[in-house]
Amino acid sequence: MDALVVLIPLLPLLAAIVIGIGHIFGWLKGEISEAATADIAKGTLLISSLLALALLTGDFLDKNTGYYSIGQWLSSDTLNIRINFISTGFNVVLASLFAVLLCVVSHFSVAYLHREAGYHRFFFILCLFASAMLQLVLSANAVGTFMGWELAGFCSYLLIGYAYNRPNASKNATRVFVTNRIGDAGFILGMGLTYAWTGNVNWAHLNAMASQLPSGQITSIGLCFCIAIFAKSAQIPFTPWLARAIEGPTPSSAIFYGAVMVHAGVYLLILLQPIFEQALLPLILIGVFGLLTAVYSFIVGLTQTDVKNSLIFAVTGQLGLMFLECSLGWWQLASWHLCAHASVRCLQILNAPALMHQVYNSPITPVSASVANNRWLYVAALQRFWLDPLADWALVRPIRRLAHDLAYFDDHVIDRLMGVPKPAINAISSLAQFEQLHNDQTASSLSPQFVRSSGIVGRITQQSASLIHWFENRMVLRGIGKDAIDYGRQLGHVANKIERLLLGPRYLVLFVFITLLVAF
Amino acid sequence: MVNNLNADALKTQIQQALQQIGHVLPGQAPIMDFVHHNTLHGFQHLTFDEALASYSQLTSISGYLPEGRYREFYHAGRINDADLAAAFSDYGYVQTQANLGIVNGKPLDALTIYRIALIYDLTAISTSHLNWQIQEGHALDALQADLPSAIRQQLLAQPLAAKAIAPRLWQSLLSKLEMECAALHPEDLLDLSIEQAEDWFAQAHECHDGLPVHQQMLKQAELGLENLLSSIGDSISLRGLILALTGIDILDFVRPQLIRICASAMDEGVAAWQLPERGHLGLYGAWRLTAGYDVNPFLYELPDWLGIMAELPEDPLDAIILQLKHLEIAPDKWPAYLQRLALELPGWSGMVNWREQNHNYQSSNDAKPALADYLAIRLTLDRLWLNQICRETWLIEGKMSRLQAYFSKNLSEFMVRECLYQGNLPEYLAHQADALTTLSGSERHDAEQWQVLADLVWTWQHSGLANLDSQKPSANNAGWRLFRLCQHLAIHQHDLDNLSQENLLAWLALLDSFDLNQRNKIWLNAYERHYQTAFFNAVHANHNRGRWLKRNLRPDAQVIFCMDDREEGFRRHLEEFNPAIETLGAAGFFGVAMDYLGLDDSKPAALCPVVVTPEHSVQEVARPGQESAQKQHLRVQHWLNQGRQWLTQGLRRNLVTSFPLINITAPFYLSHLLAKSLIPKHQQDITTVLKYTLAAKVKTQLLYNAAETDIATHTKPGFTDAEQAERVAGFLRNCGLTYGFAELTVLMGHGSASQNNPHLAAYDCGACSGRHGGPNARVFAAMVNRPKIRQLLAERDIIIPADTWFLGAEHNTCNENITWYDLEDMPANHQAAFKKLQTQLRYAQQMSAHERCRRLASAPQKPTPKQALAHIKERAADFSQVRPELGHATNAAAVVGRRAVTQGAFFDRRVFLISYDPTQDPEGLLLEGILLAVGPVGAGINLEYYFSTANNDRLGCGSKITHNVAGFLGVMEGGCSDLRTGLPQQMVEIHEAMRLQLLIEAKTTVLEQIYARQASLRELIGGGWLHLSVKDPDSGEIFVFKPDKGFMLWQAAETAMPICSSSLDCYQGQHQPVAPKLIQQAQLSGA
Repeated sequence: MDALVVLIPLLPLLAAIVIGIGHIFGWLKGEISEAATADIAKGTLLISSLLALALLTGDFLDKNTGYYSIGQWLSSDTLNIRINFISTGFNVVLASLFAVLLCVVSHFSVAYLHREAGYHRFFFILCLFASAMLQLVLSANAVGTFMGWELAGFCSYLLIGYAYNRPNASKNATRVFVTNRIGDAGFILGMGLTYAWTGNVNWAHLNAMASQLPSGQITSIGLCFCIAIFAKSAQIPFTPWLARAIEGPTPSSAIFYGAVMVHAGVYLLILLQPIFEQALLPLILIGVFGLLTAVYSFIVGLTQTDVKNSLIFAVTGQLGLMFLECSLGWWQLASWHLCAHASVRCLQILNAPALMHQVYNSPITPVSASVANNRWLYVAALQRFWLDPLADWALVRPIRRLAHDLAYFDDHVIDRLMGVPKPAINAISSLAQFEQLHNDQTASSLSPQFVRSSGIVGRITQQSASLIHWFENRMVLRGIGKDAIDYGRQLGHVANKIERLLLGPRYLVLFVFITLLVAF
Repeated sequence: MVNNLNADALKTQIQQALQQIGHVLPGQAPIMDFVHHNTLHGFQHLTFDEALASYSQLTSISGYLPEGRYREFYHAGRINDADLAAAFSDYGYVQTQANLGIVNGKPLDALTIYRIALIYDLTAISTSHLNWQIQEGHALDALQADLPSAIRQQLLAQPLAAKAIAPRLWQSLLSKLEMECAALHPEDLLDLSIEQAEDWFAQAHECHDGLPVHQQMLKQAELGLENLLSSIGDSISLRGLILALTGIDILDFVRPQLIRICASAMDEGVAAWQLPERGHLGLYGAWRLTAGYDVNPFLYELPDWLGIMAELPEDPLDAIILQLKHLEIAPDKWPAYLQRLALELPGWSGMVNWREQNHNYQSSNDAKPALADYLAIRLTLDRLWLNQICRETWLIEGKMSRLQAYFSKNLSEFMVRECLYQGNLPEYLAHQADALTTLSGSERHDAEQWQVLADLVWTWQHSGLANLDSQKPSANNAGWRLFRLCQHLAIHQHDLDNLSQENLLAWLALLDSFDLNQRNKIWLNAYERHYQTAFFNAVHANHNRGRWLKRNLRPDAQVIFCMDDREEGFRRHLEEFNPAIETLGAAGFFGVAMDYLGLDDSKPAALCPVVVTPEHSVQEVARPGQESAQKQHLRVQHWLNQGRQWLTQGLRRNLVTSFPLINITAPFYLSHLLAKSLIPKHQQDITTVLKYTLAAKVKTQLLYNAAETDIATHTKPGFTDAEQAERVAGFLRNCGLTYGFAELTVLMGHGSASQNNPHLAAYDCGACSGRHGGPNARVFAAMVNRPKIRQLLAERDIIIPADTWFLGAEHNTCNENITWYDLEDMPANHQAAFKKLQTQLRYAQQMSAHERCRRLASAPQKPTPKQALAHIKERAADFSQVRPELGHATNAAAVVGRRAVTQGAFFDRRVFLISYDPTQDPEGLLLEGILLAVGPVGAGINLEYYFSTANNDRLGCGSKITHNVAGFLGVMEGGCSDLRTGLPQQMVEIHEAMRLQLLIEAKTTVLEQIYARQASLRELIGGGWLHLSVKDPDSGEIFVFKPDKGFMLWQAAETAMPICSSSLDCYQGQHQPVAPKLIQQAQLSGA
């Protein structure tokens, strides 16, 4: 029975590979092949969900051992990573639910995306995503989960940019991708620390060690995974990425941001329950940020005027509550809440285009009159508490300026020092150059040479005379007026520039970072 | 005082400008009230061709299909040579041989060249493209691939090696035209040979009187700067200027702000919290008060934002004037500038404008937005951001004079920037320019580098690789085009000897004059003519074949449908099944314009064409004796509404209450989701049954009678007897049903129900303002069944037999269901006839579904009628289906006349059918009324489909799959885009973009008089927005109306039309449009 668990993420992966290769080689192309692509995707997802349900039944009947390993993947010194899966408990429940929802959404997309230029691409990504999510919830070790985690994020990027000819879509896709990388840094760090301190990357091992690790280590691991969890499940301060993610087709919005992917963070939190129960600080942080996110989303959600954004903030609100529940120790409730929420939002977002017809005769309750005229709060809510501009202000722009400075430094200092080969043009590449050359030739033939000489002494005399002549000519005769002042001014400019640069907050921050790095 | 006067004059000027701008913006209503209208309604006073030309000049949006599509039609036989010839003659292209020379022994005709230019692509290509064609495409080694085989044979027949034909032709063409084909690669310019440099240098010197090259460059840049600055207002805004010079689009920052505030102010029920105080302050006023709390300007470090916000005046017009003055836009350019701004986000500007123009619009939102508010906000935000970009890049303020002063001092920078962001620099220059703009920023730094680069750019531009001026004949334009033309004319190298250079230049001149716009006109005309010919042939051949020219026999039943093209198929199948049934068509509000309030409705809706304002209201109430049922119904309805409130609104609005709700309802939601996806039809049936068992179906009736004494108010409740009689008589006269009444006469309104479809209203009845026409049918039937009304009708010479009963019904065009009204009032003696009619209708439902399936890719391939109906029903219930039905797609013609004109022919659901009997209307008075009502509705539907198909990206609303409903007003793409107007791609993908053929059965003299009387019809018909033709009721001759020439007799084809045995026979196995055909007629004497 346990062996089934391998096939659940594997089948969608195979489907993705088949569709991908078929599409690249032109076997699956255009309207004619739609049925083939759809059948492959729908078929494998159906089998996956049936397998997951079978596994779930097995688990109910106590037929599962709870762990299945197909073998060694990586082994180096003490590092030992197996390809292994969890085949019992919450993981299997979640895998079944996700598989069923993925199956439903793929069925929905068959008609919904008919005749779209990106039809095959969509199903390729959907299958890849399905595989990633199922791997994420079923893997028994951190590395396996991380692979699913990354791949799911990547698929999300691809589908936000589904209509890549719209600049807004590609821009938002990139922003979401980059934001999520912050969370990944946390995950990787957490994973590294786990290995360093427990010598193993299996979740079960980590959880078992929870009570034995010193509290400092537990807190560090907890904090690292906190970042990953916050980013993936769009908690403050990462919340704005979710609202940027609704550029893709409706079914992908439903499955990624309503039903499945946003819950990955909560899943990881519940998976690491033993760790977080030992780590007080991360747990408090989770509660505080969960509550903040819930309140934030509620207030912002009140002012959202388009259906998808309105639903997205409702989603983050409930995610925040799930975090709060976990922090309060209501882990069971959070698990149920996760599953319930995924089912409800999936249908709601799939049905979003019809909201206006469903709410006929049931208008939304306006905010109470006492709040309605609070301009400050209204603007803050409408502008989503400026989280995005704040991130721009505090991170994006300083980093861009830093990059600009570095490019300048590279171009003006390093390249000149190193003597990068100049393009092989002594030749003429513009007519103005040609003209200049032309004029110079005529000019130089006119001006008499300063001294003529022969012999070594003569040469030396000639050189030094030329030098003195040059100095006299440039610095003294024309000089005081022109060159000397120019050079002086340029020097001043450079000094100013360096001073201004060094005083810019970005450099201060950079120095702090470097100091920290050195200290570590 | 003078100042005040001046200010008032300025305000008036702005107000007038705003009025004008309204005409070029989309006129689409909020999406729940979607009504088809001419997309270019603001240009309707021009002719169709002029309107498209001036619209495209204003917005650079083309209103024709891409030329490639027309070429496909040509190759598929959907346009033939005869059509093209006729189109040429329509547009006054005549045969002329002047100066064109002798080709293959015959004088060459201009039309021949035009024809080749039309069918084969003879446009100029870029130098790089030419090089690619020569080196990679081997264009010089072989004959062109698109040569027709006859021409190819003719060319190959010459005693010359096949491989040598093309190269020799190319060489002699070039020498004849005295030009060279230099195979230069852009990168070659990095290292010019001395000869080349000297050569070009000499040329450059010659052209510019020995001015140094750098000066020449500066002069050119200065000219470019002048051009760019002078185009502000006319074709770009300052945002466009900054975009052209920095590649930064300030709209990326302004758009979200603007959209958020507009959507919040106009939202109709998505948000719980909308812009405070919008009701009494207006959009601008409310924004001004809240904007002070916005931290964005601080976070984005916008220069002087506090000052700019502080000086905002109270009045939006003042604000507009203030900002325009600050930006230093020349006052004579103000109207154009404002229009340009409005057109940068046409969807939102259009919606604001629509709300401003339609004061009577019933909305839950009390905001009164105006275009002035919108533009004042836009201008303020623009100013903030322009300042920011200009400060950051050039350390100047964002206004005209500063920009002008800066760039006239830094022309090299201008040259580099303009070329870089136009995107037409070769890679080696683009790379350098990019590096320079990022690292140096402006010419204040590294001036020398900017100048060197500008010189490089200038050299590139004058190298012949840059296609700077395509007017100058060169190998890539003149050479290439003539090379292709010669091959298509079967010209050999030695034939060229007989031609002079003037001949060739004359050919080129012809090609130049025959530009894309001209070609599009010809294509569209020919495309329409092809359908017209087939359509007229069928109508002509059908003369005296159709039934119900006169009702000598009493029909078994009469069914009056909406004129809708979708009903054509349904009617045809019904009549084929029982030839003794007569069907009629009329605008689907059946002459009863009313405000209607249904039993479960919360607000009344106008059920009549959008141009009519209803003066009467009708209400649906429970019948007497239904009190208890109604009570239960209301109770359940209340709970249902409450439940909906919790589930659809609460789950997204309330954080805390939705927490238990989600946890409890999740199993229900999951099973609902599974059922809805996997067994949609059953799920829908179960829900309906549940609802009806719970909510007790209440028997209702309509309140439509008013006493004579009712005083005139805005909308009077009900109609007086006289008004009822007048409406009934008017309607019956209009459709010619004044005698020969059947035992059962059914009025069949229609509507559409589909899932998950923001554009639902676009599928409903166009004659009922995008709503269902059932209530109109119901109220009409109720009126005409009253003995009192029948008596009043008899006084007006319409005698309805006592045994005739009228029934109201509604046809759902999506799932083919038919809902009957007030059956309990029907006397028992009509039951048998009714049962019979129902059976016949059931057949028509199945066959209509069957006929529809042939155009649906996911429908079963060869369904039985029963399977077809099952599929159609399932499709309508499926919430993943973005094509629930075909809508008006493929509509192409409208026939106003007796059913006899069209009965007996197959029109593939492409024709609006409006019943009218010319024999009862010798003066044409009825016809005039019909045309005034039907013309705009039919043309509106047709033109909206036309434009949404021709250019779905810009005139339609794109693909449905990323749509996001905003404020219940319209759809956006993703989270924050312009409102998309027009029809989605999924609705129009099988539509045939052609203008409506309006065929009227009447005498030409009658039409001529009407045309002379009615300006609105003259605008539509004379302007070529639809094509008018007339069929003589007696002779059957068809006359085509030409605005400049009047009615011209149309010549029928000589070959007889094939006759199919049935509709099924006409369409079976076909998935593409089917040309009109004749159908075998059943024998039915007397009809």
